[in-house]
Amino acid sequence: MLELLGQGIVTVLQWKYMLPLLLGTFAGVIGGSLPGFTITLTVIVILPFTYGLDPLAGLAAMTGVYVGGSTGGLITACLLGIPGTPSAIATTFDGFPMARNGEPGRAIWLGVWASVWGGLLGALCLVFVTGPLAALALQFGPWEYFSLFVLAMAMVAGLAESSLLKGLVSTALGLLITVVGTDPIGSVPRFAFGSEFIGGGFQFLPVLIGIFAFAQIMTDIEKQGDRRTKTASAVRATFERFSHLKLNWEIFRQPFLLLWATVVGLIIGILPAIGGSASSVMAYDQAKKFSRTPERFGKGHPEGIIASEASNNANVSGSLMTIMAFGIPGDAVTAVMLGAMTIHGIQSGPLFVSQNPGLAYGIYGAYILAHPLMLLICFACMPLMLRLTAVRLAVLAPVVMVLCVIGAYALNNTMSSVYVLLIFGVVGYVLVKMGFPLAPLILGLILGDQIEINLIRAIMTDDNLWLFLTRPISGGLLAAAALSVALAIWQHMRHQKRTTGDEEPDM
Amino acid sequence: MKLGRDGIAGLFGLAVSLLLLPHALGLPRLPIVPIGPGFYPTLVLAFLGVTCALLVLQDAFAQRRPAMPATAPETTPDGPPRAYGLVAVAFVTVAAYVALLPLLGFRIATTLFVAAFQLVLERPSTLRQWVALVAIAVGTSVVTYLVFERYLTVLLPRGSLTGW
Repeated sequence: MLELLGQGIVTVLQWKYMLPLLLGTFAGVIGGSLPGFTITLTVIVILPFTYGLDPLAGLAAMTGVYVGGSTGGLITACLLGIPGTPSAIATTFDGFPMARNGEPGRAIWLGVWASVWGGLLGALCLVFVTGPLAALALQFGPWEYFSLFVLAMAMVAGLAESSLLKGLVSTALGLLITVVGTDPIGSVPRFAFGSEFIGGGFQFLPVLIGIFAFAQIMTDIEKQGDRRTKTASAVRATFERFSHLKLNWEIFRQPFLLLWATVVGLIIGILPAIGGSASSVMAYDQAKKFSRTPERFGKGHPEGIIASEASNNANVSGSLMTIMAFGIPGDAVTAVMLGAMTIHGIQSGPLFVSQNPGLAYGIYGAYILAHPLMLLICFACMPLMLRLTAVRLAVLAPVVMVLCVIGAYALNNTMSSVYVLLIFGVVGYVLVKMGFPLAPLILGLILGDQIEINLIRAIMTDDNLWLFLTRPISGGLLAAAALSVALAIWQHMRHQKRTTGDEEPDM
Repeated sequence: MKLGRDGIAGLFGLAVSLLLLPHALGLPRLPIVPIGPGFYPTLVLAFLGVTCALLVLQDAFAQRRPAMPATAPETTPDGPPRAYGLVAVAFVTVAAYVALLPLLGFRIATTLFVAAFQLVLERPSTLRQWVALVAIAVGTSVVTYLVFERYLTVLLPRGSLTGW
């Protein structure tokens, strides 16, 4: 295993892979640091550039975006009090007060170093645990896969911030999109109504790009003006004198904090579609609970920054584990990666590592190397990054839109994918405005085909539907799904008692 | 029965579900598969219908309670008013770009789109800003064309009217 990992790292060290990884990491740090841009949007923007590349080069670029973006979000979180990405939300709680107290350099670099160490600890698990997880996944039959996908959807629908019902409706809409087109067994056309345009069904990536990118950009356009005034303060930020050695000592003198935050990030990352924001907030919460000085949290406490940043970078490795072992995207970023893999004809899932060891260990290598690269980028380009956080939306939005159109068009060189992009762009924006979370829709969209195929396979093998409940793993997964929904109902009821208004959901 | 935003959305979803259900149920069965191609879509539509119906009911009950407003405010609690008109114009601009792409080709349509979209979002007031706008529009078109077509060998749309 270590030999393969060594080969993977050596492979990625070649310029052919190193350049995309470096550019991806750079784009990730920049994209992550732009408030409202998000890692998902950055990876969508990078996607069309990967079409013409070797699969590993493309995936290395995306891995770089993921790692860089998870760290980039902390820059504006510390300087402006606005998380560049949702996964940096908990960094804001202490990073911003620390920066306001005259230590912006310490706040940012403490976060950067915690990200590096959390991410590298996560890499250990990525390398050593993905294999056993894939071996476990190999024990799965169609019943277990069906139940696993149901669990994933129940969890993500249950986590919807607005309401459980809206999360479930969103999931159903995602599933509905996948049934348009021909059925997977007999190729019988469904819901095409004689139209050639939708007769072949909707391709996953134009739908995803449309829903996410348009919803994001249009929501930013709604708030035009607000962003410019807030980002202006970033440019004026100057760093105080501080020692990187002392910052690292601050991190390593509390090894339990670093380890526990990493473990929380990993577990949340492995659980499908929960995402970095949950892991950062949960790690922050745990750090506060275990801290000897909980009263200092929220006032610029380094422990808060370390927990949040170590956790959200470890979360990346957890998400990569899920996609590589089970073929389920851990979040929207890995959903795009899954789409990119499909374009290159690569099937992720339990056999992915054993059938594509070069690619799998190359991804591990890219993930590991992305951390020192991200550190180098932060060292070299921090002043530039501070300037770039002030890029005007009027410049950013049209460029992003052009790249989205290229991303959709280049899939099969037809305008129909661009039309799909536009249609689902409108749908995504309307859904966000109606208060529907997009994450369950995307998961339904990704898993819809697989759910149907596994359901049919299970019934074709044995038409006894009770097997879904009586097979131990399948039954356990369905019970966990039911528990997840029940827990969500309980939490929403408790939440409703406390609040009176309703909120626009987290996309 | 008074309904809010969620209730209307739920009714719409319920209507979609009920409209498509007969089509799913009418799909032909295949002799080799114990369940037909309509089985799974029926499950999905039933799931959509039930959740949407529950959403309508939830909203109807919420509307009865005066303390629980079901519609979102037009402005954020501490932010500026939302520029929905600007969003509508932005969508129209993107739609025009998509419509013009196959006619004018990637290079011309992209230059026009990037310039127009910048104008929609922020009107330049000085000569320098106008120059920057044009430079960004032309630059985006040229750089993306060179990177994608020349370096990454990704084909971009050609215009039926221009041949570009």
